[in-house]
Amino acid sequence: MMKEYELFIGPNHPGVTGNMSYHLWAEGDKITRAETRVGYLHRGFEKLMEKRIWMQNVPLVCRICVPEPDVNEAAYSMAVEDLMGWEIPERAKYIRTIILEMARLSAHLLAVGGVAAALGIYTAAQWGIGDRDYLLDIFEQITGARVYHIYIWPGGVRWDLPKNAKELILKVLDYLEKRMPLYDDLIMHNKVFLRRSVGVGIVPKDKAIEWGVTGPNLRAAGYQLDFRRLEPYAAYDKIDFEVPYYPKLGDYEVLSDGSDIYTRTAIRMLEMQQSIRIIRQALKDMPEGDVLVKENKANKWFGWKVPAGYAYSRVESSKGEFGYFVVSDGGKKPVRVHVRGPSYTHGINVMETIARGMNIADFSPTAISLDVCPPDIER
Amino acid sequence: MKAKELFPDAQELRKGRVRIELDKEQITDALKKLKENGYTHFVMLSCVDWIKEGKFELVYHMWSYEYKEHVMLSVKINRDGEDVVSNRELFPQIETYEREIHEMFGVNFVGNPRLGEFILEGWPHMPPMRKDFDTEKFVKDLYYKIPEVNEE
Repeated sequence: MMKEYELFIGPNHPGVTGNMSYHLWAEGDKITRAETRVGYLHRGFEKLMEKRIWMQNVPLVCRICVPEPDVNEAAYSMAVEDLMGWEIPERAKYIRTIILEMARLSAHLLAVGGVAAALGIYTAAQWGIGDRDYLLDIFEQITGARVYHIYIWPGGVRWDLPKNAKELILKVLDYLEKRMPLYDDLIMHNKVFLRRSVGVGIVPKDKAIEWGVTGPNLRAAGYQLDFRRLEPYAAYDKIDFEVPYYPKLGDYEVLSDGSDIYTRTAIRMLEMQQSIRIIRQALKDMPEGDVLVKENKANKWFGWKVPAGYAYSRVESSKGEFGYFVVSDGGKKPVRVHVRGPSYTHGINVMETIARGMNIADFSPTAISLDVCPPDIER
Repeated sequence: MKAKELFPDAQELRKGRVRIELDKEQITDALKKLKENGYTHFVMLSCVDWIKEGKFELVYHMWSYEYKEHVMLSVKINRDGEDVVSNRELFPQIETYEREIHEMFGVNFVGNPRLGEFILEGWPHMPPMRKDFDTEKFVKDLYYKIPEVNEE
């Protein structure tokens, strides 16, 4: 009988994406039990939102997910629009689609690079961060900010795209498309990656939905479920795109029964190709016109009252379902805003369950391949 | 079966959003009934503080991939320490939501063994998400005091 010992991964560890920690109990190199420890990042956004007027919350919500802030702005705005009964202009819907897909691209670049780095391929992480920067450059041109854009807000988007936006975006998309085969060679066809990722970190298919798994992690388990299709928002209902899922992995070989690190990474690579396709279509089909409803005027913000009611809106983020539950009593401030982050389930219940029996060395790559992001656990 | 057929007094907020008001005792059965009838994705558990009514509202969000419908099961309980039965056996992620609500609102979930420290650490004050917790006053009391110089 081997002696059980404790091991702490995090809160400042390259194998955990941010300020959270895992408390592991292990025997030899086998994990017997895991507990998620959070609390290093709690900023009390939900409480702060109850103290601020509706528009003042837009600059708060984007800070809930650092790698992909736009999904928060979109979900919050959609919930407020739902209560207000607003239909946003057609052009704003297309702009939102472009912004959200660019956000997905930048988040997936980080995630794929992160998984590779956790398995020793550090070059991929540098590439991911480097290529993401080209997208941040465009965000800066469009919104004025690199990370927290505060661009999507209730009623549409803050302002129209600059005149040269199409040209800038297409140039970066062409570049990224040329880079994709290089990422394949570096990661997906890498012997080390394959040895370490195939059949590791499995989320059982029959449990995936019950455990609340969503997004690319659910699709890697074999379900073709995507909220862009199930409950279309922005302009996704007018755009032709594919939802990659296991076992339809396109050019990537099917090497396992799905749900493992390899399949989740392959799904993210395929989704990046789809995002490029979506942005190109949206840029082509985007109509002219207003980008913000007439009711949303800055001089009215302080008097704004949102009709009483309950609203829940969801966005398919790069990590899974991002949802906002907004309650209003008809006043100038929300009564309650509750955020459903995908990492809340992936990072806590799923990780604690699948860690049992796992090798210690496989733990970090698994957490990163589930794209666990602590800021949306604690808000 | 869709939620409207299972619960005749369900209120449709808009397309794909249904709200059902229930009593505390009915909640476990309702969750089970919905889970068996295609509402297989448990989205989240929210808590709303209605301080004027003296109530907490627990909202169980469920989603059906089959009907593309989101159901909010709403239960109101007294603010002054009324217990609720834990439903962690039905969906494992409920356990985490219950831990957070216990810590942030002070609701006790009977049958959840992990209702300890979760996000806050060594917190002796009132649960901070309650409406009567005044963040501004708390911060002023705690941080705005300049400690006196002790001259010896």
